[in-house]
Amino acid sequence: MQTIPADLRDDFVRLLLSVADDKLLLGHRNSDWTGLAPILEEDIAFSALAQDEIAHAQALYGLAASVSHPDARAGADASGDAPAADALAFGRPAAAYLCAAFVEADDGFDWAVALVRRFLCDAFDAARLQRLSGSGFAPLAHLAARLLREERSHLEHASGWLVRLGRGTTESAARMQAALDRLAPAAMTLFEPFDGEDRVASAGLYPGDRATMFRTWRAAVEPVLARAGLTAAFTLDPDPPRGGRRGVHSPAFSAQLDEMCEVFRLAPEAAW
Amino acid sequence: MSGSANEGVVVDPMIREEDPQRLAEFEAKMARGDLIEADDWMPKAYRDAMLRMAEHHANSEIVGALPEGEWITRAPSLRRKLALTAKVQDEVGHGQMLYRVSQDLGKSRDDMLRDLITGKTKYHNCFNYPVPTWADIAMIQWLIDGAAIMNQKTLADGAYGPYVRTMKRINMEEAFHFRSGEDMVLTLMSGTPLQRGMCQEAFDRWWGPALMFFGPPDKPGAEHLPPMRWRMKTVKNDELRRRFVNRFAPAAIDLGLRIHVVEKDGHGSVIAKRPDERAVRDAATGDWGYTEPDWNEFFRVIRGHGPCNAERLALRRFSYEQGHWVQQAVLGRRAGLPPAA
Ligand SMILES: [Fe+2]
Ligand SMILES: [Fe+2]
Repeated sequence: MQTIPADLRDDFVRLLLSVADDKLLLGHRNSDWTGLAPILEEDIAFSALAQDEIAHAQALYGLAASVSHPDARAGADASGDAPAADALAFGRPAAAYLCAAFVEADDGFDWAVALVRRFLCDAFDAARLQRLSGSGFAPLAHLAARLLREERSHLEHASGWLVRLGRGTTESAARMQAALDRLAPAAMTLFEPFDGEDRVASAGLYPGDRATMFRTWRAAVEPVLARAGLTAAFTLDPDPPRGGRRGVHSPAFSAQLDEMCEVFRLAPEAAW
Repeated sequence: MSGSANEGVVVDPMIREEDPQRLAEFEAKMARGDLIEADDWMPKAYRDAMLRMAEHHANSEIVGALPEGEWITRAPSLRRKLALTAKVQDEVGHGQMLYRVSQDLGKSRDDMLRDLITGKTKYHNCFNYPVPTWADIAMIQWLIDGAAIMNQKTLADGAYGPYVRTMKRINMEEAFHFRSGEDMVLTLMSGTPLQRGMCQEAFDRWWGPALMFFGPPDKPGAEHLPPMRWRMKTVKNDELRRRFVNRFAPAAIDLGLRIHVVEKDGHGSVIAKRPDERAVRDAATGDWGYTEPDWNEFFRVIRGHGPCNAERLALRRFSYEQGHWVQQAVLGRRAGLPPAA
């Protein structure tokens, strides 16, 4: 499939935005550690992961822009139209962002929280990109396959740290477990469906289903937690309350968006 | 970015205790232009001075990451956000490389990080100024990274092999920062009146610190003092400053910026400014003129009383303390936390 049927277009754009917004917000949060991480070597590595996430978001926004305005730029590739991607990244009201509550929360500059969140997100993103790489829309399938390779290396990196700190000192193990206890319930917000998810799924644009993806995710997460000596119980809510995936965000998210868009909003039409 | 004048080191009494034959060999190597390597014999005073220089430079890289890091979350486009994150990441990488050079000269990284936080060692002065707008980010990458490249290119002609090689590597990345800074300044100056105004105000804030970047006017006979005599430094401060002004004054004017002499308050905000009438090209020498920056302010900031000294150190300390449990877990470090400020 090279074009999206008109009646599925809005649903499909929501799919792309939910992935891109997760990546933008996670990358945004993580990039804030640049220069402040506990060890210089890891500062550099963590910053590279943040940059990957933002670059992934950029590519997905580009694709979303070209799908929403198919005539605007014939032949624009996924990383295509920078102003259109920026307008999606910085120019929407809070309710138009479809990221999960899990990625937008402040990590309180707690390295354990930052790491555990990264790990759970990387595993989720790998499972989601796996699904997307089977999309019937070829440009998305190709992009997802490319991003999946990087995502898997993120997951490997995060897993290594989880085990190292989970099996480090008594203090590091306790901090990692505390972070996991705090984050495990919120991680479930990653699985909240966006409006129209079933429709794009059954049309083959997002093949698979939530329950299967949840199992894939657990199969990736649980062995690493076991190796790290950490424990968590995850339960998927069959009918989750309306949250980030459907544009319902906390007041803190608006404040965060104000910060992220502070300069952009000074002159939204201008080049920066 | 960074690297700066090494403050004077008293040498002669220490050299007098060195083995005269080894000292003569060392001086002969210097004279031939050979590189000194970490395992080579060197006078203690040289090792100490080189360590201080590399450590100061490393500190500058990681403290220099802070003011720009503050703006990563506010960068106005995805491209700029990526570039700024990568730039700050590079600076941390420079710090890491330079700490390694310093470690080989005999001091542990942990000791260096702790001495930085407690104020025992210093970092480059220009990071003690505030960064109130996005245009300041553009200006830092253009003027300060530009100044750093000019300085570091001459440091790459020095005599200490590990430092020289590190400078060469760093300079390639700095050139990239500089080009991105130049692009940001150009974009702002081609933008809306608001963007051009921001850019001019940022230029007013950073022109002075950029002139100060190369250190105070040279002491008489600087070429005989250890930093130059031992080729830790190869070009005098005033000469570097002359080259900088000749490159950047006309470039600023071409971009539509005006060069001002400014007066700042204690927070680093500009409270008065007038055009710098000396900022013209001397037809006879070809050199561009400039008004000397406020050297009293320079020494005040060096002594720890700049607008942001306390803030920068507090953030470094915060980073060190919040990450301490990670260091202990990974490196098995026994070190305690640094004493309270
Ligand atoms: Fe640097
Ligand atoms: Fe730089």
